[in-house]
Amino acid sequence: MKLHVQIQRSSGKTDHFEVSYGPEMTVLNILEEIYRHHDATIAYRYSCRTGLCTTCLMMINGKPELSCQKIVETDDEGILTLAPLPKGETIKDLVKEM
Amino acid sequence: MELRQTDILVIGSGAAGLSSAVYAAQSNQHVLVLDKGVIGRSGSSTGAVQIAALGEWSNEDHKDSYLKDIDESGRGLSESSLMEALAEDISDRLKDLTEWGLKLDRNKDKQIAVSHTSGHSLPRSVSAKKGKTGLGILHTLRKKANASDHIETWNDVITIDLIKNGNRVVGAFVLDLKDHQPYLIQCKSVILATGGAGQLYPTTSNPVQSTSDGFSLGLSAGANLVDMEQVQFYPVSMVAPNSIAGFCISFYHYSKLYNSNGSRFMENYEPKQLEDTTRDKLAIAIATEVADGRGTENGGVWLDAADEIDQVKKEFPHEYKLCHERGIDFANNRAEIGPAAHFMMGGVQINEHGATEIPGLYVAGETAGGLHGGNRLGNNALSDCIVFGARAGISSAKEADELSSMPEVNDSMLLTAQQQIEQILTPINGEIRPYQLKEQIQTIMGQHVGVIRTNQGLKIAKEQLDEVETQMRDMTILNTEPYSREILDSIEARHMLRTAKAIVGSAIIRKESRGAHHNTDHPSLASSTYHTVANSHNGELSFSIASVQGGESK
Repeated sequence: MKLHVQIQRSSGKTDHFEVSYGPEMTVLNILEEIYRHHDATIAYRYSCRTGLCTTCLMMINGKPELSCQKIVETDDEGILTLAPLPKGETIKDLVKEM
Repeated sequence: MELRQTDILVIGSGAAGLSSAVYAAQSNQHVLVLDKGVIGRSGSSTGAVQIAALGEWSNEDHKDSYLKDIDESGRGLSESSLMEALAEDISDRLKDLTEWGLKLDRNKDKQIAVSHTSGHSLPRSVSAKKGKTGLGILHTLRKKANASDHIETWNDVITIDLIKNGNRVVGAFVLDLKDHQPYLIQCKSVILATGGAGQLYPTTSNPVQSTSDGFSLGLSAGANLVDMEQVQFYPVSMVAPNSIAGFCISFYHYSKLYNSNGSRFMENYEPKQLEDTTRDKLAIAIATEVADGRGTENGGVWLDAADEIDQVKKEFPHEYKLCHERGIDFANNRAEIGPAAHFMMGGVQINEHGATEIPGLYVAGETAGGLHGGNRLGNNALSDCIVFGARAGISSAKEADELSSMPEVNDSMLLTAQQQIEQILTPINGEIRPYQLKEQIQTIMGQHVGVIRTNQGLKIAKEQLDEVETQMRDMTILNTEPYSREILDSIEARHMLRTAKAIVGSAIIRKESRGAHHNTDHPSLASSTYHTVANSHNGELSFSIASVQGGESK
């Protein structure tokens, strides 16, 4: 199965990826897939993978969510949209100063 | 290369690192705390559910019974001076935290809720934030650190190496991942508190940052690592679904475990304690069932908690809820569980003050070795962090205070660091990406240095790690722009390789099965107890054995 992912990058442009995915994958799993197989420059934070540290918080389809906890869902057009949180300084791509 | 100065440099900011910083700062010296992730949010303390402690709830409990439990669990490898320090200080350190704002969970009678944990002879596990105890302690310590004028914190900075002048550690060479600016930090003492090594294995409960950096840095500075073969595998971790693989289930003492034949196999291994036994015994039993072909399709066994589901929901709401969201409702479903790399009992050798044999180098928390011996008791990790964090902080501050001036850093150290960083930040187009090297190390360690080990497996692991070292010279790093995950992965892979070799070498020289080290070619206990010791000289690892200044247990 292929997933269409749209990511707002710190360079100002929006990148699109077609990523292989399975039904139980989290958004974090998708980002790991992109880093490994699509674009080694993608930047995102995470740590505990269990919803406790909250360092993986980002905008997922327009809402602030933890990427390690959020099972992949797409919008009406079949797209998963990722962006950094709107407030505060963005270090790179999805990574905020904390 | 920029030069920075601080009195005390703390590397790592989990419960041990932040405790070190808070107590060191009471001396009014300047403390700089680094974390390669986010301060107070990137260590395994985050996930700790409870803390074992003595306190106002200890009616029948006292220091000696706690000491005896740690000693028995350590299988003869726990150092007396460290066990005594833990049992002596734990009550006061937890009291400090509650005075600084930590609120312990209470039961319906408004009394502090105390629960039983496997391996402890009396109930002494308490919690905060409804079982998110590690988070609660980190919040309290972060607040305390932020309120101090003497503590400065720095996110997203990875330590590449420690700097020595003669035999003294005089600083660290670090890279700010945000802008790829290297720094040489000059200091009077360094406290290593980088947590554990779970990421050396394919399945782990540890955060992504647990890449064993502190063990590698300790080795490189000439410190001894003790008992590195003693890797605790959390026996009951989720195997499926993949998105929560490695997630720990703390309520195994309320559960029944079944193999694929439907047999409650713990009846054969521990007829009296059954599932309510220590982690080493449970992990070996589960791994044996799987190795002998009685495991599930995904290489685990079945956990059934339905009979005690009310207690599970009450005491472990986070675990219940997270699994429920991933489709496992313990009220109705069995879960597929198995051992996952969880805690490094071995580590840098310290004395009761958190000091190593290397002047200027202190170590606290999971990065230090010798306290938990061959098996860490449940809920003793946070206890270790707050007691030895404080001790290392206080002792390092005292030593720093006694130094008349800042130890010197000379031009040749700057030049070496400069050359190293240029090499790290130069794009190279080789054969293998850094994340693949990390995966190779994980595969080797998982296959040959897991719960059940053999002489042949350890020999293969040693050879294969040597091959990884050769491949490391042929990495592909295309992205050298700031915040490059490839650069971070390449630095971590070097730390992981060095620590993995220390684990394998230590496992090879332990010619017995003791604690978490189970070698089927040496299935019984040796007649004497000894530490394995790993040391590095000019980049070459050497291994030896040393006597234990231990308690009563064998």
